[in-house]
Amino acid sequence: MAVSAPRRAAEGITTFAAEALRIAAILVVLLALIWLYRRDPFTLNILAYTFLFASLASAWNIIGGFGGQFSLGHGVFFAIGAYVTANLYIHLGLSPWISLIPAAGLAAGAAVLVSWPTFRLKGPFFAIATMALNEVAFVLANYSDTLTGGPRGLSVPFKAGLANMIFASRLSYALLMLGFLAVCLLVCAYAYRSRLGYYLQAVQIDEDAARAAGIRVLRVKLTGMAMSAALTGIGGAIFAMYLRFVDPPTLLSLPDVGVKFALIALIGGVGMLYGPLAGALLIVPLEFQLRAGLGASVPGGNLLVLGVILVLCALFLKRGIVGTAVMLWDRARRRFW
Amino acid sequence: MSGAFLSLSGLTKRFGGLTAVSDVSFGMAAGDLISIIGPNGAGKTTLFNLVTGQLPATAGRVAFKGQDITNEPPQVRARRGFGRTFQISKTLTALTTLENAMVGAFLHHRDLAAASRRAEEMLELVGLGARAGIKAGNLTLSERRRLEIARALALDCSVLLLDEVMAGLNQTEVADVIALVRRLHREGLTILVIEHNLKVVRAFESRVIVLDFGAMIADGMPEAVLSDPNVVEAYLGRKRT
Amino acid sequence: MSGLLNIIVVGLLLGGIYGLISMGLNLIFGVIRIVNFAHGELVMLGMYGAYMCYFLLGMDPYASLVIVVPAMFVFGVLIQRFVLQPLQGEPMMQIFATFGLLLIFQNAVLAITRGVGYTAPSALSSIVVDVGGIKISLVRLIALVAVSAAALFLSWFVKNTMLGKAVRAVTQDRRAARLMGIHVEWAFMLTFGAGAALAGLAGTLIAPIYTMSPQIGGNFILAAFAVVVLGGLGSVWGAYIGGFLIGVTEAVAGYYLDPSLKTAIWFAIFIGMLIVRPSGLFGVVGAEEIGLREQD
Repeated sequence: MAVSAPRRAAEGITTFAAEALRIAAILVVLLALIWLYRRDPFTLNILAYTFLFASLASAWNIIGGFGGQFSLGHGVFFAIGAYVTANLYIHLGLSPWISLIPAAGLAAGAAVLVSWPTFRLKGPFFAIATMALNEVAFVLANYSDTLTGGPRGLSVPFKAGLANMIFASRLSYALLMLGFLAVCLLVCAYAYRSRLGYYLQAVQIDEDAARAAGIRVLRVKLTGMAMSAALTGIGGAIFAMYLRFVDPPTLLSLPDVGVKFALIALIGGVGMLYGPLAGALLIVPLEFQLRAGLGASVPGGNLLVLGVILVLCALFLKRGIVGTAVMLWDRARRRFW
Repeated sequence: MSGAFLSLSGLTKRFGGLTAVSDVSFGMAAGDLISIIGPNGAGKTTLFNLVTGQLPATAGRVAFKGQDITNEPPQVRARRGFGRTFQISKTLTALTTLENAMVGAFLHHRDLAAASRRAEEMLELVGLGARAGIKAGNLTLSERRRLEIARALALDCSVLLLDEVMAGLNQTEVADVIALVRRLHREGLTILVIEHNLKVVRAFESRVIVLDFGAMIADGMPEAVLSDPNVVEAYLGRKRT
Repeated sequence: MSGLLNIIVVGLLLGGIYGLISMGLNLIFGVIRIVNFAHGELVMLGMYGAYMCYFLLGMDPYASLVIVVPAMFVFGVLIQRFVLQPLQGEPMMQIFATFGLLLIFQNAVLAITRGVGYTAPSALSSIVVDVGGIKISLVRLIALVAVSAAALFLSWFVKNTMLGKAVRAVTQDRRAARLMGIHVEWAFMLTFGAGAALAGLAGTLIAPIYTMSPQIGGNFILAAFAVVVLGGLGSVWGAYIGGFLIGVTEAVAGYYLDPSLKTAIWFAIFIGMLIVRPSGLFGVVGAEEIGLREQD
């Protein structure tokens, strides 16, 4: 490569730096939202969940969206992060901030290990295999009492303090989740606006063409998966410290965890950088309202509505919220410009 | 056979009982332009896929710059300097024209800015500079073919393999692509072309290899080869059906 | 020794049920190339259908087959026509749509029944057949006979009827079938209807065996996927044999290891099979690699 290669990208290419500016603007708006509701614990709880799931869906989007590998098993990496952190904190008193490293590392390691054989599967077959993986993890989590507390779960004692990542106020948690969202968005932007992002998209669209362009397909997929799983593991760690209780159903329920990451990304705009964020901003608060309103009077009513939304989105909003917005914007611009 | 740049010896591919490519041997020197022609089903694309590594060979070997690369997968051959297009255009339609070319450029330019510059140059070279910002899905067929050439060139390839890049194009578009290929050849690129259209092969004025039922039946300059009774029969035999 | 024999018989009976559930899934997959994540829920709907016939009309589950199976067929046709057909060629969206259906079916039933467990008792429920000292529950034996009959009927149907041949043509090459004048969309609707009807049959036949819950489909779907992967994607006999293999493995492992580990064992078989022979025992080689992209 020529040393004198110009640093400025060609016209029409968004760089990571430009994307980082957009992310900063988004974070300012979200921070204002937290400030607006700073005295309302109920809303702060919703915001904390929204930011957490926006982060997790963004993490899923790296491999599921950019790379097109439709994982339904991300709950496994989420659970690994949660169990690792809870165990290290309960048994060794290790600060969760430090546990984030093994949480991310083990989740990424597990992801690479299970993806190696399953990446030869395409489309729905990959989805089935990862779904099966999630179910196995559920059984094993119930079974291996010493590590997970089995069906009884693990409780983290309440000892507030920054070092313990345990806070008395919801405000601190909302800020923590926003910080995690910032990290996730930056990592996603970096992945998206770099060689890896283009390679992942090339692999998703056509593996033969990708190979002909010199792309090591398996390695690209594994890299994307490892990044995605590492962030998911960190999310699991933070979630464990937020809830201060983890058990198999909260970590490994398919509709509530693994599938939900994918679902949020899909509704927001799969494969688009800000799609998962948009999806989470819509779906998570909606779910809270439904659960509080409908779920109390009609069992399963909230999930019923979610199912209907999902089918309608698949049928009429194929590009998701962000994708549709971009398309409409382009169309408007072409007409009036 | 002359040339140690790219050489095929005894290359054979069988699918079950069907022999798609049978004992094909020839060599290319650096800077050669060779066309492979033959009727439909003669095994041209299969031979091509053996050369690029998309398919594993049943027997025989492929050597590049003196090294045996028979068992190397396509991504490794791309690193060695193979650039190819596909018969069914494999443009990544969701990306822009520029981004498509960048997917190639990233091989030797890790940095986004450098890759996009390189891709832009290649688009200019094939005459797509003005279409850089358009989604590749909106390009015409001839533009897509040229985009595929640009993506292969962005790999900094030393041998370019073109799989029926003229198919489906009209007269003017064919003339444009012929001019492009000849120009790349003049600039010193080694090019292997699969072609169905005999007019195109004549226009190249360079060595032609004819395949029929997977085997080489003729090898030489266009005037000689195209008047060879075996070749005429192979083509006329196809027409009769 | 008779202990092991007993376990194998239990496994075969279980395998019959798995085979029955998997057959519809595999039929839909083989022809339409859609992985129906809501298939377990179609079985569940079949079970509740049998219960409704029992509750409202006092029908024995076996008699209710004449209502449930056709009703599920129509339901399947409607799903294909209005949900999946518009998503043809978009495998990701199809996965999501069937997942959405899964949520809808599960929670609609939950909302209606409020989660109370039901059973649809049959006059035959309490009958136990004694075969050489091994006691076999008649209702499970019926499921075993039914899966065999269904497999025979299906393979006869696709080989020997015009409709079956049309479906096979569509399976092999959609475009060519279309050119031959076959209405591909109709063939798909018919196939999804048949798959749903098979799920209904399975649901009705197991209604006297299992206590119903809206989530019961989830207990079957993973086993069904394991059966399909083991037996071969798109193969009727693959689902049949695969069902028995999974059933027997589960029974043996449940007896000698731990019943709660059965999911892990399915998965081990599943992954092992994918690595050793991805096309399954009876499947077409390469089907799992082609994925759902190759046809329009």
